[in-house]
Amino acid sequence: MTEAQFVALSPLILVGLAALVVMLAASFKRSNGLALGLTLAGFAASLVSLAWAAKVAPVQVTPLILIDRLALFYLGLVFLTGAAVALLGHGYFEKRAGYRDEFYMLLLMATLGAGVLVATTHFAALFIGLELLTISLYALVGYTRTEPRSLEAGLKYLVLATVSTSFLLFGVALLYAELGTMEFGKMVDLIRQGGHRETLVNGAIALVGIGIGFKLALVPLHMWTPDVYEGAPAPVTAFVATVSKGAMTAVLLRLYLLVGGAIPDSVMTLLSVIAILSMFVGNLLALLQDNVKRILAYSSIAHLGYLLVAFIAGGNFAPEAVTYYLIAYMATSLGTFGMVSVISGREREAEELRDYAGLFWRRPFEAGVFAAMLMSLAGIPLTAGFIGKFYLLAAGVDMGAWVLLGSVVINSALGLFYYLRIVASMYAAETSAKPGAAAREVALLGSATLAALALCLIWLGVFPAGLITLIRSAVLGV
Amino acid sequence: MTIAFYVASAVALFATLMVVTRRNPVHAVLYLMVSLLAVAVVFFTLGAHFAAALEVIIYAGAIIVLFVFMIMLLNIGPPPSTRQESLLLTPGIWVGPSALSVLLAGLFLYVILAGGRSVQAGSYVDAKTVGISMFEIYFLGVELASMILLAGLVGAYHLGKRDLPDEAEGGNG
Repeated sequence: MTEAQFVALSPLILVGLAALVVMLAASFKRSNGLALGLTLAGFAASLVSLAWAAKVAPVQVTPLILIDRLALFYLGLVFLTGAAVALLGHGYFEKRAGYRDEFYMLLLMATLGAGVLVATTHFAALFIGLELLTISLYALVGYTRTEPRSLEAGLKYLVLATVSTSFLLFGVALLYAELGTMEFGKMVDLIRQGGHRETLVNGAIALVGIGIGFKLALVPLHMWTPDVYEGAPAPVTAFVATVSKGAMTAVLLRLYLLVGGAIPDSVMTLLSVIAILSMFVGNLLALLQDNVKRILAYSSIAHLGYLLVAFIAGGNFAPEAVTYYLIAYMATSLGTFGMVSVISGREREAEELRDYAGLFWRRPFEAGVFAAMLMSLAGIPLTAGFIGKFYLLAAGVDMGAWVLLGSVVINSALGLFYYLRIVASMYAAETSAKPGAAAREVALLGSATLAALALCLIWLGVFPAGLITLIRSAVLGV
Repeated sequence: MTIAFYVASAVALFATLMVVTRRNPVHAVLYLMVSLLAVAVVFFTLGAHFAAALEVIIYAGAIIVLFVFMIMLLNIGPPPSTRQESLLLTPGIWVGPSALSVLLAGLFLYVILAGGRSVQAGSYVDAKTVGISMFEIYFLGVELASMILLAGLVGAYHLGKRDLPDEAEGGNG
């Protein structure tokens, strides 16, 4: 490995190293605070090394990993989200029994897996990164092991994710058998040249698509989402909703840029159907829920539908629109699931809608932040969610994709209804005689993280130009 | 060679089907071992001799033995009486996996006698080629795979360890 390659790889190496340091530290002294500190130091070191790596980028490190500006940008996003989840997890697990250090180790390793995903240009590394992410998540989803629901969610995720990964692996094997390479770039070139068995390659791509679609929880592969989101500890839910989906989106984006937007019409039609179904199924089912975590799970299905619209209808704008929408989605999802974890009590999580009744009168600060997050999810002006949706609509109008745009508009209205339902119940006068599950004590670190996130969302909603410039230089530099 | 490939594949499929339909874990493990051996023969007919050897040594040899130990140590249900143990020796249980294993051994002999190195498809891959690609081109993959094992280990430790005192009370640690 040359020096440039080593420097380029340093963000990933540092995150892996941090996992080992946390493990070693735990064998001497088990402490929630120490593990959090080491984890944050690891993420901070990785984030700093991104600037270092940016000087040598783009660097191809073996055929497996390409550190270019797109990868660096998404690595930054993934590491920041991972650090936020660690901060939320500190307060959440402090209230609960059992060892906490493993949470940070698994979190770091899952983040490493996501980091490999966003920087990969090879199906072998895609599979390894995905497995690292998924195997860490099995344990994270079932982390509160005294709670049957959490274990049940872990088991469900284990079985379904394994099945979906085998689809992906079989697709990759077929592609390799037909094309003789696993590198994205070479594969795209070979497929473009033709001279292979169409049906086999198309079938293989469909199998790979199933693996990717499962991670993104697009309809009809969304069945696991509500159950897993509901059962997993709230900080882990935040991680599944953001990092896991964000990393997969980065893979899709890389493939999209390689193909150069020249996607056959039949595939576009299929993707449009999936996007429309995801939006409608997600939003309509969210209307029927009384559990806040399930509402947010269905809303995340709908949001991935919107994201897919940005891919399909984006044209030249697609990479920018997708990245902006993803950032807005990740920040808000982190905020909403983070809020569930911050106001959860010791005995159980604050997940029923009635736990939020009159929250504003008990905890005005948290209620205000939560309302801002929900507004951003709904796409109300002055929030990042609005700019994301605006990007989407502007790109779609440019391409004249009216059916998709119509669905986005209808679904935004549907979404507004259930987001406002939560907001309305927070500001309603407290009616229930017995107090809800909301904790009396406040997790300071978690609340501070959420406040920072809320400020970020509003900042991005009012002054989006800075981020847009950054995104442009990242995605167009590829 | 072609016939050996298809027969071994059929054995692998059948044995795997038996694994998921057996109610007794020990029987399932026996069939799982046969399935892994059959996959090893498939590898062998395809020219991946080294992978075939690893499959036999690591999977069929080491991992399945661990499975059997685990089942033994977990001690599910009441301790087995001598009568139950002698039940394990009735032909109905061991004839199936044994017959399949004998079939596989026959295939293996046939493949070796019918011209050792000739290959069904692709090219012959020896241990040196595997080593070079693992530690030169794909060394990052090997490193990351070690992280996967670590993640699995940490996860299994966390989920599998005994209750902590404060956890059992549902207290607040």
